Amino acid sequence: MHIDPKQEVVKSKGGRLGLTLLLVVVLMAIFADLLTPYDPLAQTAQSFESPSWEHLLGTNHVGQDIWSQLVYGARTSLVVGLLVAALSTVLAALIGASTALIGGVYDRIVMRLVDAFIIIPMILLLILLSIYVDPNLGSGAIIAIEVLIGIIVVGIAFYMVRSLGWVGLLIIGPVLALIVLARNLLPTTGGLIIILSLLSWQGGARTLRAQALALKEKPHVAAARGFGANTWYIIRRHIIPDMGPLLVADFVFCVRRAVFLQAGMAFLGIGNPNVVSWGSMINDARQWIFLDAWRWWLVPAGVALSITIVAITLIGSALEPALDPRLRGEVSAQN
Amino acid sequence: MLTKGNLLTYLIALLIILTLNFFLPRMMPGDPLMAIYGDEALVQMSPQLKADLTERFALDQSLAEQFASYWLALFRGDLGYSYSYNAPVTEVIFGRLPWTLLLAGLALLLSTAIGIMLGIESGWRRGGRFDSGVLSGMVTLSGFPDFFLGILLLLLFAVNLKVLPLFGAEDVYSGLSGFARLIDIGEHLILPLTTLVLARITGGYLLTRNTMIGVLKEPYILLARAKGLKPRTVKYRHAGRNSMLPVMTQTGIWMGLMVTGVLFIEVVFSYPGIGLLAYDALTFRDYPVLQGLLLVSAFCVLGANFIVDLLYARVDPRVSYAH
Repeated sequence: MHIDPKQEVVKSKGGRLGLTLLLVVVLMAIFADLLTPYDPLAQTAQSFESPSWEHLLGTNHVGQDIWSQLVYGARTSLVVGLLVAALSTVLAALIGASTALIGGVYDRIVMRLVDAFIIIPMILLLILLSIYVDPNLGSGAIIAIEVLIGIIVVGIAFYMVRSLGWVGLLIIGPVLALIVLARNLLPTTGGLIIILSLLSWQGGARTLRAQALALKEKPHVAAARGFGANTWYIIRRHIIPDMGPLLVADFVFCVRRAVFLQAGMAFLGIGNPNVVSWGSMINDARQWIFLDAWRWWLVPAGVALSITIVAITLIGSALEPALDPRLRGEVSAQN
Repeated sequence: MLTKGNLLTYLIALLIILTLNFFLPRMMPGDPLMAIYGDEALVQMSPQLKADLTERFALDQSLAEQFASYWLALFRGDLGYSYSYNAPVTEVIFGRLPWTLLLAGLALLLSTAIGIMLGIESGWRRGGRFDSGVLSGMVTLSGFPDFFLGILLLLLFAVNLKVLPLFGAEDVYSGLSGFARLIDIGEHLILPLTTLVLARITGGYLLTRNTMIGVLKEPYILLARAKGLKPRTVKYRHAGRNSMLPVMTQTGIWMGLMVTGVLFIEVVFSYPGIGLLAYDALTFRDYPVLQGLLLVSAFCVLGANFIVDLLYARVDPRVSYAH
């Protein structure tokens, strides 16, 4: 598969639009401190103030500045989305590649579990888990997650810079900045990130396994085996690098899903109430629907969330021809 | 076609849910009765109910015996007791289920049908104005989270224009009956149904469009054209029918996603189905109801998959010949 996912995105109009929109949200998240005059959780004025120069989007029911919440909400969405996608793509790649290469009973058991998991209604499972699993992590768990995320992010960064050159650096730079800036989000959202990651690798593992099964038969893999390479070496050096476009697509899909689920959980009022999030802004604003406040409270939060998801979707659909070459080419069937 | 492998997968899915439902509350420290029902419920329960529940689920016995009586209760259709509704969980859930089936079933049917139609047209005119217009519209639409879309429609049509009802599934106090009640139910259905259809249409559309593009390159399409068949016939009978197949296979999985979509929409419109029930159970910390819901909705998804498998054999005769 000699298709460059980077080219596909940059070439298509939708892909460029998606990248631009996402860049705006990413910049908002990175420079949140500079863009906002107030702490998003501090009570800075009376409740339900209308928009003014002091409060660009007015204040909410407890007198917090809505503009500040909107900007910091970008941070929460992106950090949860990116980290969940990173963790679950790594899991999907490892499990997909290993089941394909090892095969046998291991493959059968894991794939059955994956099929079963896809049937279970995710949102109800999330609600149930959120009740019984304490979302606030202990300090030991946080350090463990930080180390894990550190290894994975540095690994992905290394891989991207090596394979994409300066474009890779351009993509991974802001992401690294964002993750470093948002370290203080981990204690309150770490539990959610872990649960979402554990529940979202299954679909990706299935597609990646199919791809690895095809790659496994390629002559260069057989040659590597002939030289005495073991399974782990082949996964690392031949299978995973060749799965490039699929990995990118799986990652993009995971980000989108995680952003949506994070907002959805916050909308239902699940999780730490002190996490600033577009989902919880929509939920709070919904309770005061008969006031005018929804115009500068509910709508901006919803639009910001929608723009983020649309941007990710656009990037994802620009990637589609890279995955399904039949969609390339310009021939129309119209007559 | 329902294969042995599929059946095994369904069984494993149910087993995972049942194991989670059994072990999650029992892994919590302290009294299992408290972990299962939550401390608020425990305060309100009468000692008699407590004793009854402890006995029914063998909560004072060893874990193995609890597991056995949990299964026995399941086979009796006993999912436990909901303290906030003061009724058995099964009764509470099955009272709400018809509304969700109505809403979700109609939404799935409509969104799949419209998605397939638009997908066929779009794939046929690939690259044209119609195709690019619908395609970009769909991609944008799919980015709107269903609950936000719902609130926007609610704000527009119920709060501002006041042409459609604000919440619920029917006007309970109006005492309508017969045809008038049907109209009332229909009016309440319009907004949630529209939201769900809009939010779910993209999947079927994209899949049909992409399959259509592939199918149109097949030799039999060329043959059909060479025979001099009308473009309409080629489009629908030859290409369209074959482009529906992947959508049919996916419908089972979308049924699972529908549970999610319906939950948010029911919350937004206070529509009294099982989604709103889950939300209320979360608010009241009514854990047995939540566990029951997980099980019942998994059963619904499995049931839908089963129906899809049966339908699939009708649409694609190759499947039944193969077995």
